[in-house]
Amino acid sequence: MSENIDQKTLAYINMYGVLGSLSTLCDTVPEARKILGQTGISVGFAVKDGPRATLTFIGGRCIVKEGAEDCTIRIPFSSPEKFNGMVNGTVTPIPTKGFVHLPFLLGKFTKLTNLLETYLRPSAEQLEDEEFFKNSTAVMFRLIACSVAQIANHDKIGQFSASNIVDGPILLEIKDFAKAALIAKDHRLTYTAKVPKTVMSYMQFADVKTARDLFDGKINSVAAVGDGLVRIGGMISQIDNVNRILSRVELYLK
Amino acid sequence: MAHEIYTYPKSRELFTRAARFIPSGVYGHLGPAEGCFIPIEAYPLFGERASGSYFWDADGHRFIDYMCAYGPNILGYNDPDVDEAARKQREKGDCMTSPSSVMIDFAELLVDTVASADWAFFAKNGNDVTTLAVMAARAYTHRKKIVFFKGYYHGISAWTQKIDYAGIIEEDVVNNIYIDWNDAEAVERVFAENKNEIAAVIAQPYMHGNFKDNELPADGFWAKLRKLCTENSTVLVVDDVRAGFRLDIAGSDHYFGFEADMICFCKAIANGYNVSALCGKEFMKNTISSMSYTGSYWLSAVPFAAGIACIEKMKKLGCPEILIAKGTKLKKELIKAAADVGWDLHVSGIPSLFYLRLADDPSLMVHQEWIAECVRRGVFFTSHHNHFVNASLTDEDIAETVSVAKEALEVVKLRHPEL
Repeated sequence: MSENIDQKTLAYINMYGVLGSLSTLCDTVPEARKILGQTGISVGFAVKDGPRATLTFIGGRCIVKEGAEDCTIRIPFSSPEKFNGMVNGTVTPIPTKGFVHLPFLLGKFTKLTNLLETYLRPSAEQLEDEEFFKNSTAVMFRLIACSVAQIANHDKIGQFSASNIVDGPILLEIKDFAKAALIAKDHRLTYTAKVPKTVMSYMQFADVKTARDLFDGKINSVAAVGDGLVRIGGMISQIDNVNRILSRVELYLK
Repeated sequence: MAHEIYTYPKSRELFTRAARFIPSGVYGHLGPAEGCFIPIEAYPLFGERASGSYFWDADGHRFIDYMCAYGPNILGYNDPDVDEAARKQREKGDCMTSPSSVMIDFAELLVDTVASADWAFFAKNGNDVTTLAVMAARAYTHRKKIVFFKGYYHGISAWTQKIDYAGIIEEDVVNNIYIDWNDAEAVERVFAENKNEIAAVIAQPYMHGNFKDNELPADGFWAKLRKLCTENSTVLVVDDVRAGFRLDIAGSDHYFGFEADMICFCKAIANGYNVSALCGKEFMKNTISSMSYTGSYWLSAVPFAAGIACIEKMKKLGCPEILIAKGTKLKKELIKAAADVGWDLHVSGIPSLFYLRLADDPSLMVHQEWIAECVRRGVFFTSHHNHFVNASLTDEDIAETVSVAKEALEVVKLRHPEL
């Protein structure tokens, strides 16, 4: 069975999931902060019929915000396909605003995205380093959680799953390591790293290794519930449907 | 006196062994994921034996069982009359080259018992007969579309699943139309928008979906569905696999005052012996005859003999009425126990198939804690699914259940002073 992926959904994943993961990278990996230094600059990506967002780099951090109006450099894309091409390296971005800042795009930004790729597609050797393993898993966790929201909101099958999700926050957690929430409202999901005090349901991975094994497809979440490595609770219909969307994340991130 | 708190070292040991060679250890509704064992430490994972209203797990703990193997146990596990009939038939023959005439006896009994039955076709699981019903409706009408009610469960074949389920492709479900239960306007609209295209409407007798209160049919809803199906030459299929014989011995359509064109039975039909049946109206019989549909064990004689004994005993006892009365007694006492700690327990559905929900916490986490504490103390409830009452349940069992439920409520209440 082969399935075509939806380019618009992929663009949202690339924008908020992949590029959005620069925020986690900068927060967790010292090398990323070192690359940025004290740079203060914002890059807006405006995709026709797709996502529009701005990455603001300031004080060694990266902040992602919706909208591409208020930015130092603006890069327009005529279609989701073109934007996806930039992310996979087949399309060269041409800014319409902020030419003077081109060195940032070609220098620090490229270095940063290359570093991100290292953490998202690590080698087995790199994962043997405990610190790298943890940071890579933290970045992956954010990417996957954020991608669930994009698939729920834009992918046809993801939208079907979301249509069966009742309102309320869903907690995704790697125990004692990382947390994120998906806020369900009117059958749309919003990713947030700020977890509300009370949630409607939760899916908790026992530890970083379990999470990594799940991300890498080495273990299955249903089987892991039986082993006690994945704990679920609350409104299980939410978790059930998030789990169905999770199974589509791999399709988009391959 | 405080109830013993169960732990499950043997179950865990067996599960570890199972997981090595069986996908997810225990798959499906009896497994920890689909079975919503929250937390997993509260639940037994393997059973050792069963009798009457009880089962004993691998660690030797006894449970008052309100899941009844998810429905099959209706008279009590190991009912002596059913088991004796099965034993006698086994001595004569079970899986043979020619079917035993006991198959005819069973079909005749079903036709005499089920109000809308002019014939009976036998298989093994509920899914076998819901699938046959839908295929037959398509064969009879030469139409493709099937109307479902959201929250349904009709089995595990591709047509019963949804587009986002693993292994399902768009073509499997492209002719499925989903509408809300009790939404009469939506039913009318769907018929108007799909003139001469709807082969069947398939529905459980009422909405016993998971994670929410079960919902009985609104006044006139079944009558409206029946009328629209008749006017549009659409086949009306009742999936009575879950509720069958717990509402009405003559079928749940009879209970709600209408007649299905085809009605599906399994679970309680033979008190745990593996047989299912599709019954239907005369006009569907030739279509069923024309279909290529069979299975290796479908005409085995032992389950037929068990089914006959089960139905005869259910009739003799007035089984559905007894189960509803027992369920009603339990329901009242559980609601009172919850009220005593200041909580609001909702008990929905027909009492012989009651669904529980502590309404004080919309996330169901507190409800899950309460159910887990009941299970740890020997009362097997589930937090996500309707329950099943069986005829061997005694007043003493109900009293013990309520005692456990009260203790469990008090334990959980202490943890949640905020509620």
